[in-house]
Amino acid sequence: MSLLQPVGVVSFMALAAVLFSLGLYGALSRKSAVMVLMSLELMANAVNINLVALSRFTAPAEMTGQIFAVFSMVVSAAEIGLGLALVLALYRRSQTVELDAMQELKG
Amino acid sequence: MNYVIAIPLIPALAFAILAPLSGRSRNAAVPIAVGASVITLGLSIAAFLAVWPGGHEEALYHTSITFATIGSVKLAAGILLDPISATMLVVVTLVGAAVQVYSLGYMHRDERIGWYYAVLSLFTAAMLGLVLSDNFLQLYMAWEVMGLCSYLLIGFWHEQEAPRKASIKAFLTTRVGDIGFALALAVMYKTAGSFDFAVVLHDFAWAPGAATAVALLLLFGAMGKSAQVPLHVWLPDAMAGPTPASALIHAATMVAAGVFLVARALPIFEASGVALTVTMFVGITTALVGGLLASVQHDIKKVLAYSTISQLGYMFVALGAGGIVAGFYHLVTHAFFKSLLFLGAGVIIHAAHTQDMREMGGLAKKMPVTTVTFTIGSLALAGIFPFSGFWSKDEILTVLWHGEHYVVFVLALVAAFVTAFYVARLWFRVFSGPEQTSGLKEAHVEMLVPMSVLAAVTSVIGFGSPYFAEFLGHVGEWPAAAIALTSTAVAGLGLALGWWAYGRRNQVLNTRPLKSRAGFVYAALAQKLYFDLTYDYFIVRQYGRLAGALSEFDRTVVDGIVNGAGAIWRAGADVGALIDRVVIDGAVNGVATLVRAVGARVRRIQTGRVQSYQALMLAALVVLMLWFVVKGA
Amino acid sequence: MLLSAIVFLPLVGAIASALLPKERASAARWIAAAVTAVDLALVVWLLIGFNVAGGMQFVENRTWVVQVGIEYHLGVDGISLSMLLLSALLSLVAVVASWKQDTKPGAYFAMLMLLEVGMNGVFLALDFILFYVFWELVLVPMYFLIGTWGGPRREYASIKFFLYTLFGSVFMLVGIIALYLQGGTFDITALAGMGFPATFQWWVFAAFFLGFAVKVPVFPLHTWLPDAHVEAPTAASVLLAGIMLKMGTYGFIRIALPILPHAARQWSGFIAALAAISIVYGAALAFAQTDLKKLVAYSSVSHMGFVMLGIASLTPEGINGAVAVMFSHGIVTGMLFLLVGMVYERTHTRVMDDVTGLSAQAPVAAGLLAFASFASLGLPGLSGFVGEFLSLLGAWKSGIPAAWVVVAAIGVLLAAAYTLRMVQRVVLGTPSKAVEGIPDLNVREIAALLPLVALTLVVGIYWDSLLRYVDPAVRATLALMGGS
Repeated sequence: MSLLQPVGVVSFMALAAVLFSLGLYGALSRKSAVMVLMSLELMANAVNINLVALSRFTAPAEMTGQIFAVFSMVVSAAEIGLGLALVLALYRRSQTVELDAMQELKG
Repeated sequence: MNYVIAIPLIPALAFAILAPLSGRSRNAAVPIAVGASVITLGLSIAAFLAVWPGGHEEALYHTSITFATIGSVKLAAGILLDPISATMLVVVTLVGAAVQVYSLGYMHRDERIGWYYAVLSLFTAAMLGLVLSDNFLQLYMAWEVMGLCSYLLIGFWHEQEAPRKASIKAFLTTRVGDIGFALALAVMYKTAGSFDFAVVLHDFAWAPGAATAVALLLLFGAMGKSAQVPLHVWLPDAMAGPTPASALIHAATMVAAGVFLVARALPIFEASGVALTVTMFVGITTALVGGLLASVQHDIKKVLAYSTISQLGYMFVALGAGGIVAGFYHLVTHAFFKSLLFLGAGVIIHAAHTQDMREMGGLAKKMPVTTVTFTIGSLALAGIFPFSGFWSKDEILTVLWHGEHYVVFVLALVAAFVTAFYVARLWFRVFSGPEQTSGLKEAHVEMLVPMSVLAAVTSVIGFGSPYFAEFLGHVGEWPAAAIALTSTAVAGLGLALGWWAYGRRNQVLNTRPLKSRAGFVYAALAQKLYFDLTYDYFIVRQYGRLAGALSEFDRTVVDGIVNGAGAIWRAGADVGALIDRVVIDGAVNGVATLVRAVGARVRRIQTGRVQSYQALMLAALVVLMLWFVVKGA
Repeated sequence: MLLSAIVFLPLVGAIASALLPKERASAARWIAAAVTAVDLALVVWLLIGFNVAGGMQFVENRTWVVQVGIEYHLGVDGISLSMLLLSALLSLVAVVASWKQDTKPGAYFAMLMLLEVGMNGVFLALDFILFYVFWELVLVPMYFLIGTWGGPRREYASIKFFLYTLFGSVFMLVGIIALYLQGGTFDITALAGMGFPATFQWWVFAAFFLGFAVKVPVFPLHTWLPDAHVEAPTAASVLLAGIMLKMGTYGFIRIALPILPHAARQWSGFIAALAAISIVYGAALAFAQTDLKKLVAYSSVSHMGFVMLGIASLTPEGINGAVAVMFSHGIVTGMLFLLVGMVYERTHTRVMDDVTGLSAQAPVAAGLLAFASFASLGLPGLSGFVGEFLSLLGAWKSGIPAAWVVVAAIGVLLAAAYTLRMVQRVVLGTPSKAVEGIPDLNVREIAALLPLVALTLVVGIYWDSLLRYVDPAVRATLALMGGS
């Protein structure tokens, strides 16, 4: 295995796994809601990488993975917009974006 | 003949008009009720005259309308005009009209006179519906409605305690009898499949056993309504109502409905045989008990009430001996002379301002019309020729003699003697002797006219007795001299004793030594032979206590058992000790507590923090993946 | 479509009044009055178009859940028609009677209308699942009506009511599922007359018996009733006693008898015994009460005993009588609860000794109370007598041991005892302190009572006005049972 060799599917999946784990860690550990949202975005993008890569290496002619990735990016753009709007609304209400302060669903 | 239908409907209409009005306009509408009663009287006389020539066994007019359909069974209300019902029509409407006219004078100062007339009208309608009925169901329904009217009229002055209590007592006591009547209907329906007279009394062949059951149950019902021992206790108390109402309901008509019922159902009684004997036994007991109790009362209305009980007993005796004509005839004559006596008593009470005979006296001088009419009524009650009571009592004695019921015959003579005695006691106490009330004066004319009419009727109808028997389809005879003389002698003896004790000038008999010598007997009579005390102690109070105990039982035990679901099976073994409120509540709340406890633990997971949920999800995912890995391997 | 309209029209009203903004919530009563009035008009229309001899009619049958064969199946026969009329009428009366309700009126009237949806549905459903849904639907609004607008111990009462009846309906659900597994359908009409094996019938009947008997209620499952009644607001009491109790007995007639005829015959002696005990026991307890509402509540136990007695007789007379008692008890007890409620509004007490001499102060109220009392004690000429008499007749005619019938007949006497005791204290006599100065009934209150008075008289005098609808249906039911 050398640097000059063509990049294989395993490398893409490894990258995606690393990104996903980073995102997961962030989503679980960050205090700020904004940071959590960004981590979520990271996880989503990890999935996108997987989609594109697997599509490219298995059935390159049909482009399904790529198309799906584009859909996914559009949806996450909308989602991140909604998420940020919610965070903003929450900030207005409670003057904080820290998740620990939001426990109203506590049973 | 279709106007017969209108006879019960007219008073019913009067009630329907009067009842919904407000108090004042109802009072103004009283003439409607009186007019209705007079019209009904006219129609009834017309109907009677139509039946009189010849129509003996067959009904002259019969119509019915179905009011309930159950499968193939049709229950109908009907109008049956035959000699018996035609006679009853005249009796009821004549006494009814007399009472309504009389009440104009008697009740004119009462602020609820409108309501009084409304109830009187309803009563008249029900009574007419009863006598015209062509089946037992309708008879029963009208019977109950009369009970309601009786209740309302007894409790008419409900602001006072006594009428309120008396009204409940009357309703419940008669309803004890009604249970018998209702069950009789059930038995009748099961065996004969119908309530119609035509089927039950004529077409259906009664087996003795079923006939005895039905007859005795009917008799029980009749005993309640007609105040026969031991269900007589309500009638004396019922005197708390207005006197004219007593005259109509508790002397002439409603209480006679029991006799009417037995007379109607006599074929069933005859099919049974035993039932006839029981009827006679009940009747003679009542006749004696009523007479004895009437002899010790001081309240003039109570004397008349016990006298009514006694006379109704007489009618039962006659029916028990199979003498339908005699029993029924006595019903008719008694209706007239007893209502006359009650109306007279009303006048006397108004004049003397008391009901206690010991505080009366000397009324004869100031109140001539009342005296004459009341005397006629008294003599009829005592059974003195030529007044109506003589004839009907004579017929009863004749029936007993011919039926070879010699013991009962003698007892009936004793009852006649007692009757004459208390009549004399009443009469002399009230009319002779020194005046005890000042300002005595004769009553209003609207009170005197009905009394005079009734007195006239009482004086003459006796002579119609053989024709009446033929009218009912039996052989009519003039009284046999032997029996007539015997009964007159006995009655005369009773009157003489009464005069000796109460009528001699200056010297009213001192009864004290008598009372002290026969202390027990007198005490028993004064306590109304302990009937009321027994019922009150053993039934009324015990029921109250039982109800209270059951209520406690329900609150603790039943509620407990049910609440404690599983405890049902255990409960059979140790009711009472184990199952008390603590256990129960524990069981009830147990389910709720369990749920709450589980919830309290589960809720800890719900921190409300998004990230702890995420962590949970991650952990779950990891476990799931491990599971797949392990399983896959 | 007519039946669906009758069932779901109140639902529209309920949603509308629940959605009203707070400041306009008092308009809910107008919505409720309009909706219940139109619903009653629809029922009357149904009544006019109803063919007495036509059996089950106006049938609507659509598939609902195909996979397990659940259908949306409605239909009406004479028995359900009489109950439907009662339900529609009493709902309107309840709305009129609670006109002054001003705590959360929007929710209150929504609950009343939701209750009507459930009640109408129960009487019209011909599919078991549909029936069960409506049956349970009734519980919810009643729970809230008692729990929110009730008296001081409302929470205890509402929970007791809910658990009790839920306990019963769980058994009923078991029965329904058992029937489905055995018969392969939820269709009530299809299951009737299938002739299941005897032992199976016995057990399924037991399950249904528990479910229905709690609702009726039969001794000894009655203890939820007094508590619920005492705490419930007037309108809820009226509907509870007037209609919900009938759901149980209706269930016996519509479901238990035609589907499980063999078991019904086996159980009849036992039911008759319980019925007779209920009659006497309820009457004795009513006699012991000092609280007017409790008295009426226990009297309901007694009267429903007559219904059970009539059903247990399995004769045309008895079942006709049972339906007649159901109908009559609905209107008469409705009247009694309304009047007690109206008196309570004025005097703020329901203790009998504190409310006396009503006739002198409020003659109309007193007169109507006396009228309702006499109807309740079974006076001929008023509706109460019809059913009680026919029940006794049927019971005697059937094979029920005579002793139970005699006990039931004694119950008639005891009914007179507790009723007259109440009349004597409350109506008669001189006015007590609480009664002095109270106003008589107003026009709205009289208007709420008058239709009930009229029905009491009409049914009581001309029995066929009710029986002509009921009798053919009863005979059809008995025909399904085979024989008798």
